[in-house]
Amino acid sequence: MATDTSLLHRFWRPAGFVPLAWRNLLANKPRLLRSSGGIGFAVLLMLMQLGFERAFFNASLEIIHRLDGDIFLQSASKYRFATRDPFRRSELDAARAVSGVASAWPFYADWFDVFWKNPFDGKAFLVRVFAFDPDHPVLQLPDVEGKLAELSDPDAVLVDRHARRFLGMDKGATQSELNGRKVRIVGSFSLGPDFESDGTVVMGDRTFAQLLSGPGGGLPGVEVGVIKLRPGSDPATVTRALRAGLSPEVAIFTKAQLLELERKFQADVSSAGPIFAMGTLVGFVVGMLIAYQIIYTDLTEQLPQFATMKAIGYRTGYLIRVVLEQGAFTALAGWIPAWFLSILLYRVVEEVALLPLRMTAEITLISLGLTLGMCLISAILAVRRVIAADPAEVF
Amino acid sequence: MTEGEVGLGRVSRPTRVWLAWRILTHDKARTTLAIAGVFMAILLIFVELGFFFAVPQGGMLFYDNLQFDLLMCSKQYEYQAQPGQFQRGQLDRVRSAPEVAQATALYFGSAKWHGGEDGKWPDIFVVGLDPRRPIFQADSINRELGLLERPDVVLVDSGTRPMFGPLTTGRVVKIGERSETIAGRYVLGTGFMGLGVILVSDQNFARLFPYRSLEQVNLGPIQLKPGVDPKRAAAELRKGLGPDTRIFTRNELEAHEVAYWTTRTSVGLIFGSGLIISFVVGIMVVYQTLATQVSRQLPQFATLKAIGYRDRALDGTVVTISLLIVIVGFVPALAAALGLYSVIRDETLLPVAMTWPRLAAVFVATLVMASISALLSLGSLRRADPAELF
Repeated sequence: MATDTSLLHRFWRPAGFVPLAWRNLLANKPRLLRSSGGIGFAVLLMLMQLGFERAFFNASLEIIHRLDGDIFLQSASKYRFATRDPFRRSELDAARAVSGVASAWPFYADWFDVFWKNPFDGKAFLVRVFAFDPDHPVLQLPDVEGKLAELSDPDAVLVDRHARRFLGMDKGATQSELNGRKVRIVGSFSLGPDFESDGTVVMGDRTFAQLLSGPGGGLPGVEVGVIKLRPGSDPATVTRALRAGLSPEVAIFTKAQLLELERKFQADVSSAGPIFAMGTLVGFVVGMLIAYQIIYTDLTEQLPQFATMKAIGYRTGYLIRVVLEQGAFTALAGWIPAWFLSILLYRVVEEVALLPLRMTAEITLISLGLTLGMCLISAILAVRRVIAADPAEVF
Repeated sequence: MTEGEVGLGRVSRPTRVWLAWRILTHDKARTTLAIAGVFMAILLIFVELGFFFAVPQGGMLFYDNLQFDLLMCSKQYEYQAQPGQFQRGQLDRVRSAPEVAQATALYFGSAKWHGGEDGKWPDIFVVGLDPRRPIFQADSINRELGLLERPDVVLVDSGTRPMFGPLTTGRVVKIGERSETIAGRYVLGTGFMGLGVILVSDQNFARLFPYRSLEQVNLGPIQLKPGVDPKRAAAELRKGLGPDTRIFTRNELEAHEVAYWTTRTSVGLIFGSGLIISFVVGIMVVYQTLATQVSRQLPQFATLKAIGYRDRALDGTVVTISLLIVIVGFVPALAAALGLYSVIRDETLLPVAMTWPRLAAVFVATLVMASISALLSLGSLRRADPAELF
């Protein structure tokens, strides 16, 4: 990185070396402020778009991440996670008989049939419902307040205190209704909505069965079979054995494959990918235009100095390097404040929109790369001025 | 400019524009760059605004293609694809009112389409209707409704995603528990109803969803007799309406849907924040340009000051430069936005479109942007000190 090279040169070069790019950057403080503001906002735009894009995908993958297992079974015709397409419970018994399988427990879910009554204003809203055997909780719920064991009681539910506010799940009510059936709220967790569902209710399998009885009134079909392996057993071998032992109507996935299926579905059908990619691209182009203008102006003002350096014998190659370093510094001057500001903005958006906007190493690196890219391209476009600087013409 | 003007320290508007123009054309490359920056910022505003409105419009797509003056629905109505249910008796009662020409029952359901790609069974949104009542705006769809009088046939929306497999006429697909034949395709768009939409007759709907009774209606579009005022008719029909039922006029319905998509979902926040950031980016771009221009022309400005120009006149010149840049940048940005909108329409199937109010709003925002940038850069102009010049 440019900073490092300059710092190194400080020590390594013979006496008299000046970190020129660094000094050029600091020479005019108001101008530095202006350029870091201009580039910073373009970077901020890119960071917001990147954040939204990740939030969109992460929100839809969140639940799959939280399933507590090594191998997963679901109906072969199930095309996305948030759709009800259950398979027969007997498949789980068959799975348990396969060697290497330590446990196989059901996960039940429904996205489009259960209406939650806001306990405070009485309005009904569609919510997603997850259920499991309370003795074998296959879903790792975040920050559960209350006891999972209480879910064995009939009509006991846990609600999402990060659900959208109009559901009234965040205000500590103790009773409400699901599809007109009275339920007791025995605790809460903090999950948050995704782009499909506004809120989540978790319950025991028996309560779920009474809410959404399967054909014939028994326990409903299994949405996902969550399998844990015996220590030391090889997932590939077990998967092959499962494939031989289970009906072709059931598909077998590792967690990575299940995540990939959902990610691919979201990328195929939703407009979110292209929309946010375009926003990022526009931020990049705007940033490049701003950066070019800044670097070009800087160079124009420093032209006499560059020409003088040329006259006293500095090579063009050195001057080009100084210009590129200046470009990199300008990039950092814009990127660093934008990065900090975006963390703040992510926080605000997360609070207001309940979207999982998180600063990650990936977003940090991508945005830094894009910022350096736009400033270095601008510097390369602007460097012609320095190359053309004619000492004789300057004065 | 006349000597009198100079003496008074005033510059007339045309002179100001001319001065601004001279400054801008003095360094064409720099000005081009500034305009390019402004162009991108305005384009960005157009795009974010387009998305911001496209989402509610996608939600309105079905209604926009339906003939009705009033819409009867449940009190539990959330948005078009999640309308709740009400008793058909309510609709029958309204149908006999003197101002009503027609009142139809629409049924919505969701079923598994056992014929997707890779053996998957995607969910299809099913609209059940009376095939003898032409309720769509497009005659082409209304004519096709006749095909639904045959048993166990469906019409498929042409916007249905490829993951549903081929949508060829005559293909037999198992939908839910029944085998259905595709009788044809119609062009409307799936909006936010789902990844695929089919139309079926109400009789067929009852067969597809045996646990659903046709007594429970999802939506009741009502057409009034010619010349009847919808607002007054709505007020009249609301008297004696069941406690669980409500009636929207078209305008009320549109307001409801827009409010739903912009406030109840993340759409408003995502594109709203994009809109604000692009506005700020625009200010930054213009400010950057102005500040550079002012600092480069500082000796000239100081000279003008020395020969008697007042600060106000010079301020006016900077504001004029700013307005000129954005106005020149606005025109190509508008053209590019129109092009980009059509690309977005094709790529995302969102109904992103330019309207006059939107165009006007962006233009006003652009002018505000220019003014703010100009105000920000006036600081450096104040520093123009004739005494320091030479």
